[in-house]
Amino acid sequence: MELQLAKELGAHLADGEVAASFRLSRIQPYVSIYEEITLDFTGVRNANSSFMNALIAGVVEQHGEAVLERMTFKGCNPLIRVLAEAAIDLGVQKIDGRIDA
Amino acid sequence: MRIALPANINATGLLPFLCRLDSARAERVIELDFAQLRRVSPAGLVALVARVAAWQREGRTVAERNVAVCPILPYLQRMDVLSACGFGLPEAFTRHEAKGRFVPVRAIDHRVNEMGDEMSRCVAPGGDDFEHPLAGLYDLVWYVLTEMGNNVRQHSGGQGFAAAQVGQSEGMVRIAIADNGRGILRSFREAGLVWSQTIDDQAAILKALEPRVSSRGSPNNEGVGLTLTSNLAELTQAWMLIVSGQGIVRIGPGKERTVQAGVLPENGAYPGTLVALTFRRDHVHDFHLLLDAAKRKSGLLHRPENRGRFRA
Repeated sequence: MELQLAKELGAHLADGEVAASFRLSRIQPYVSIYEEITLDFTGVRNANSSFMNALIAGVVEQHGEAVLERMTFKGCNPLIRVLAEAAIDLGVQKIDGRIDA
Repeated sequence: MRIALPANINATGLLPFLCRLDSARAERVIELDFAQLRRVSPAGLVALVARVAAWQREGRTVAERNVAVCPILPYLQRMDVLSACGFGLPEAFTRHEAKGRFVPVRAIDHRVNEMGDEMSRCVAPGGDDFEHPLAGLYDLVWYVLTEMGNNVRQHSGGQGFAAAQVGQSEGMVRIAIADNGRGILRSFREAGLVWSQTIDDQAAILKALEPRVSSRGSPNNEGVGLTLTSNLAELTQAWMLIVSGQGIVRIGPGKERTVQAGVLPENGAYPGTLVALTFRRDHVHDFHLLLDAAKRKSGLLHRPENRGRFRA
């Protein structure tokens, strides 16, 4: 499964509530169905921590660190990559119990 | 009650001005006298507009006095301050392109994305192109505005306003966001955070600078917006001021982070939250590296190697 963020949500991603809603409706239900999940950020110019944390950290927290072996982050510019890495780290920390969800 | 706006509402004049606004806290009719006003920073502008909006929302009567003879009348009009306050006055000038010079006062609504993009392109024209020399500045302004805008929408319970200004000769960029909501301390208390019952406004601001303080009970907001903004301020050698309730926190530039916490003079209070940032334009280049450094500095990144799979 490949989700094209720019096409679905636009080039500027700032709203954590939109991200959480997208995660719940377009990602979470399919994680156990599809072997590979690709989040394609091609065309996304920028995002902030609120959006990326709400989009990614919850998936990792919900499905465990192993889900990262089935997820690909495609077309990230350097800024999106930094934010995605931090969101992954946040999800892992939540699993480790270092952060209250 | 008549409030005479001081000549200078910038630098050291800002905090006394906030206290002067607070002196009208119980008045039903408020007159703002613009006769002496000569200089005002974006922080002063958004604080004024936020306060006037709150008074009007509460059903108070707010009127201007002497704005027609104010020495900076065209500036106030061009920054949309008077229209935002409901003081209609004909403009005796032609509006020119604001790009690269200033961003008029803008209400923060649900379109945080659009606000961030429009204001950032105004401060850093061309920076929306990732390869442009002003891309770093564009990204910094966009990040700060959208995260602070999210905070206003999710936590303040009031109306928020933002404005920015670029000092071309001095190379400084000034951004300010103000709201007329419940303030940081009350926001913590209303979220049911037990520790917040025993702290004051300045301690609440300092607490909000810690990472992930507001995480509990709010899964969409990881409580890092203000934390990262303050660390970005430090890494770019910026000045940052946060005012909320009676509390103020200043972060100053220098090799070592200097954080000064205090209270507004004269027992004054700012009902809501005001965040102002001033940074040098030439100190902002590769924003993704800055953000990465800010996250590490905040303790938000723990692992040296990230397990995410990335491809072009």
